Amino acid sequence: MTHDEQPPGDVASPERGGTADELSCEEAARNVFEYLDGELPPDYSEKVHRHVEMCRRCYPYFNFERAFLDYVHDRGMRPARSAELEERLNRLLKEVEDREP
Amino acid sequence: MSAKHTEFEAEALVHMDVLYGLALRFTGGDDATAQDLVQDTLLKAYRAWDRFEPGTNCRAWLTTILRNTFINDLRRRQARPAPVEYDEVAERSVYPQLHEEDAEGGFFDRIVDQEVIRAIEELPEDFRVPLVLADLEGIGYQEISELLEIPVGTVKSRLFRARRRLQQRLYRYAVEMGYIR
Repeated sequence: MTHDEQPPGDVASPERGGTADELSCEEAARNVFEYLDGELPPDYSEKVHRHVEMCRRCYPYFNFERAFLDYVHDRGMRPARSAELEERLNRLLKEVEDREP
Repeated sequence: MSAKHTEFEAEALVHMDVLYGLALRFTGGDDATAQDLVQDTLLKAYRAWDRFEPGTNCRAWLTTILRNTFINDLRRRQARPAPVEYDEVAERSVYPQLHEEDAEGGFFDRIVDQEVIRAIEELPEDFRVPLVLADLEGIGYQEISELLEIPVGTVKSRLFRARRRLQQRLYRYAVEMGYIR
């Protein structure tokens, strides 16, 4: 794999942007989670956004990490059921209720 | 059954499964502690039921109580926190390994739910708790920093490492299962 073909996400592969005002792929990749979490200052976030939209390496990489975070959220919040807990709580609430004036 | 109890059952107890799921994620799959956490949460909510405004989001109110109860307990337990182990290898994205085969991360969807849940619950607590707060509950870095009483920079680095570990583990699982090469 040549240097140009290396995907971002591996921060050991720096790639400089075209002008001083542009971000390198390395810098964009370093901020991937803060960007996706909406935690970057607006100006800087805009800079990352511009880079990602125009970069054929970072664009799919950022989409990949976004898919990962969406996936963790969707699957991670799965409810759980426990008949034991249900029974325990109903009993306890009944006791609390009985003690109330 | 009193009117209060009936109302509580209809508004609050219906969220028990969501609370229990969240409690299991927070406690790393420790069933007894998770059950205690849900019990404490619902008892607090029952006692404060007069202060709940009908029509507002009961589930959000309950998850806030659960989160605060868990974190208060965590702070007590972590008066002397154990050092966190860092693993350089686990800190890389799996993207470079599979961007030619599955750049869109389609393999994630093939992993069974239970494996993802287990992977989250088995993260070390210092990594797991920020991840549950940020990725499951959608809480911002600043608020997590205040809740856990750690600097925002620490929230960022723990969250980063938690996500990388989780991703690496799911990747290894997907390779083992033959979903990706």
